[in-house]
Amino acid sequence: MKKTGSFMGFIFILTVCLLAASFAFLPAHAQARDIKVGILDAYTGPAAVFANDALKAFKLALEEINKEGVLGKKIEFVTRDTKFKVDIGLNMAKELVMREDVDLIVGTINSGVALAVSDAISKKEKVPFIVWISKSENITGKKGHRYVFSTADNTAMGGRSGAYALSRKPYKTYWIAGDDYSYGHDLANTAWEKLKAAKPDVEKIGESWWKPGEPDLIPYLTNIMTAKPDAVIFCTGGLSMANVLKAVKTTGMAEKFPIWVHTATDHAVLKPLGADAPEGVMGTMHYHFYYPEIPENKAFVDAFKAAYGEPPGFPAFNAYVTAKLIAEAYRKAGAVDKEKFVDALEGLKVDTPIGMLEMRACDHQMVYPIFLGVTKKLPQYDFAVSSDIVTLPGTEMLPTCEEIQKARSAQ
Amino acid sequence: MELAQSLTLSNLGIHLLVGLSRAMILFIVASGLSFVLGVLRVPNVAHGSLYMIGAFSAFSIFNLFGGSPLGFWLALCLAPFVVALVGLVAERSLFCHLYEREHLMLLLFTFALMLILGDLVKIFWGSDYRSIMAPEVLRGSIPVLGSSFPKYNLFLLIIGPLVAIGLYFFTNKTKIGKIARAAAVDREMVGAIGINVSWVFAFAFVLGCFLAGLGGAMVAPTISISLGMDHDIVIETFLIVTIGGLGNMWGALIGSLIFGITQSFGVLFWPQFAIVFPYIAVVIVLIWKPTGMLKSVW
Amino acid sequence: MTGMRFKPIAATAGIFVLLLLLPLFIPRFYVYILAVIYVMSLLAMSLNSVAGHGGIFQFHHGVFYGVGAYTFALISSKTSLPSWIAFAAAPLAAALAGFLIGWFCVRLSRLYFGMLQISLGSLIWAIAFRWYSLTNGDDGIHGIPIPEFIASTKGAYYFVLLVLGACLLVMHRIYQSPFGATLQAIRDNPDRCEAVGVNVRRHQLIAIVIATFFAGIAGILFVVVEGSVFPDLLFWVLSLEVFIMCLLGGWFTFAGPIIGAAMMVSLRTFVGAYTEYWTLILGTILILLIFFLPEGVIGFFVKTAKPAGDGLSGEGTP
Repeated sequence: MKKTGSFMGFIFILTVCLLAASFAFLPAHAQARDIKVGILDAYTGPAAVFANDALKAFKLALEEINKEGVLGKKIEFVTRDTKFKVDIGLNMAKELVMREDVDLIVGTINSGVALAVSDAISKKEKVPFIVWISKSENITGKKGHRYVFSTADNTAMGGRSGAYALSRKPYKTYWIAGDDYSYGHDLANTAWEKLKAAKPDVEKIGESWWKPGEPDLIPYLTNIMTAKPDAVIFCTGGLSMANVLKAVKTTGMAEKFPIWVHTATDHAVLKPLGADAPEGVMGTMHYHFYYPEIPENKAFVDAFKAAYGEPPGFPAFNAYVTAKLIAEAYRKAGAVDKEKFVDALEGLKVDTPIGMLEMRACDHQMVYPIFLGVTKKLPQYDFAVSSDIVTLPGTEMLPTCEEIQKARSAQ
Repeated sequence: MELAQSLTLSNLGIHLLVGLSRAMILFIVASGLSFVLGVLRVPNVAHGSLYMIGAFSAFSIFNLFGGSPLGFWLALCLAPFVVALVGLVAERSLFCHLYEREHLMLLLFTFALMLILGDLVKIFWGSDYRSIMAPEVLRGSIPVLGSSFPKYNLFLLIIGPLVAIGLYFFTNKTKIGKIARAAAVDREMVGAIGINVSWVFAFAFVLGCFLAGLGGAMVAPTISISLGMDHDIVIETFLIVTIGGLGNMWGALIGSLIFGITQSFGVLFWPQFAIVFPYIAVVIVLIWKPTGMLKSVW
Repeated sequence: MTGMRFKPIAATAGIFVLLLLLPLFIPRFYVYILAVIYVMSLLAMSLNSVAGHGGIFQFHHGVFYGVGAYTFALISSKTSLPSWIAFAAAPLAAALAGFLIGWFCVRLSRLYFGMLQISLGSLIWAIAFRWYSLTNGDDGIHGIPIPEFIASTKGAYYFVLLVLGACLLVMHRIYQSPFGATLQAIRDNPDRCEAVGVNVRRHQLIAIVIATFFAGIAGILFVVVEGSVFPDLLFWVLSLEVFIMCLLGGWFTFAGPIIGAAMMVSLRTFVGAYTEYWTLILGTILILLIFFLPEGVIGFFVKTAKPAGDGLSGEGTP
């Protein structure tokens, strides 16, 4: 075996070297320069389903856009998998900017990746970065800057919409629980601050925080139920959403306690639960494929269904809006220039499946209406949907421009 | 945040029960890890991946039978065998050639296996969240000690000890079980008396995989099945096995109980840092008894 | 008893000079990637100094790297202390953690040592992950202030390269010293060493403290290159990846881990740019490695360069 072992070893080393070298020297860009978008997202790990949803819609949008072209060019894209890890995200972002030479970066679902890339690459290298799923309010809030934009809903919106919904209810004592990371805490802080301001007599009787993605939430929920609050607020992110709702159903919490969860009515959350989703849970969301039932939304949903066999979720919506923004901004800018692109994006209004929406100039945040509803099972679907929907206007669900200025200058 | 509610007997009781039921799942998975560790002397980091495959297989089987209660029971019974098969293939084709090598190589092999299995799951099942439902009889909760206790957790409290007893009989009373335990202590001797040690190892590994798969199938109705499940469970089971005593099945049980209960009570006493409680318990146990609470197998 | 015997000083110096000049010729991205490789090399080298050289089951070496990185990050971004304090404190914090954890672990042998270290290391990870107000938990700390002259891509490159060079020199010295020799002896036959009167535990502990000190330095370098810290740096998966780097390059050689680090980072970056399944590829390569090339790349060359009968080499597989 020794001789063959050595030989095999040699072949092995050779192969690996060739493999690495070939990848390293593969041409990174085709010339005759189209507009190149670098998509940075987590295609591995628990968030992959959202990243894929977004990518699908982005491709769909580009098909339409490229028929007409933008400034006589097509928009093309490359994707990089961050595996939901910040160090890989940073590596890949630098690769996109320094090696692929992209005109802008879009994507991210992990707020840690978004913030790291925003600071280390977008700000430092002056490359426009449009965040399309990561939900930290700090992205366009206190850590915002000229080159970063967001087409995602964020914790500021979520918190405010929850506070709005609950301030109109008679509940006095609350328990707040959620994922122990920035998303959960920011959501909770904003929601509580705004709720308390609107209704000073509310009282927080307890808090529980668990590891994001924690599979076993029964102990936490049991604890909450024995405390008997008037209502419960859950601040959970994508990883734990389904777990929370499942646990809520298993413990029967929804029948005994009013609950509000931001994104509880999101299709991506309710779909896998199917008939086992809890009913009567209040949720807020900025996109539903079934509401509003206007022609633009129907067209988008039909096209998406025709291409991919299932309706779009909110990541798909965000990505679609992003694609539209990119095309319109370049057209307005008149040139493929990063600085002009940024200027053109500010205050830009585009046509989206749910109507005309604006990319706010002061903080680079997309202004979305928020749909407040309650989970309900309807006979025509085999999953739960949001019902009794109330539309909350986008501008009221965001921090004011002054508040943003203040937060950024405090940095 | 100070204690939000009084330490009533009811409260403590419920948390104890919840902790125990959680400990059952941990035990089922950890016992598999412990057994492999005991006999093969290698910590299998791919154990979490096998657990994940168990959950995903349960999903597929459940769906194959239209999501009916029958599908659930079949999933629970068959998924562990699927995982055992995966383990058998990995072991016979690759692993068994490495037994003479040092432990580090084996550990790194299991790490490579974890990487590969993780991506294979993604290729095979895609990246969507999956969900399976327990049958009607196990849904909802029942009033216990003045509070409500989920029926499925009660189910776990019954099944867990049954598995433990079954495992005990299997490893202590059957011939193959006894040989495996002997091999854990002294593999050379076992080989010397004419038994094919390689097949004993195969058996041990496959049993470990079976248990991981069973744990994954059993936990499936309570969580959303997703990629990334493999990472979470590995560190917990590793810690459990370490504090229980490497290779000791009863140690795995004790370790699981400590882990499950401290986490459950942590939620009661200090909800924000509940996750740290089990780690602290682990550190305390290890400072007091560095080789684990019970004697390790070797 | 070194691995540098067939790399005379001149060749090493030559390589070093070449690396110093590289940023003038190659695109910026490759300068960045090389800097990342240097950081990983230092980390892998520090692991090799205890695990390969000393035979200690340092399963969670990444913790000390993370501690160094976080210490530097916290001091730099949350206090207004001068930056040299951050540079000094980080390796010391890492070494302190190494001492504390090591003190508990050296009482045990082999596998127990490894398992205990994973446990204690995970506790640190859990605390960093949950102590949201201090560490920002999952989000990490970004935009860490770095002194101007090393903040640019080239500046970071030179700084990292110089620090790496200095550390390698020190490590080489240590390997050559009586201490290093004793450590190897302990690896090969701890019982005999005990019998001869060597305090095995004390030696191992010292080796661990030294290794974790270097890991802490690697942590600083990481922050200099990337500007962020996050809990993944403390997670056990990273520790195993560092092991793989040592394995890829060659356990018992001096320069092996450097090659291993280079291979890992290159694979991750370049193959990762083309497919989301690069972990599958990495796993497969790893398995092939274990089967056909257990000595690693450098180890393979060492083995083939030296005929088996050369008992004086002190090198090669055990």
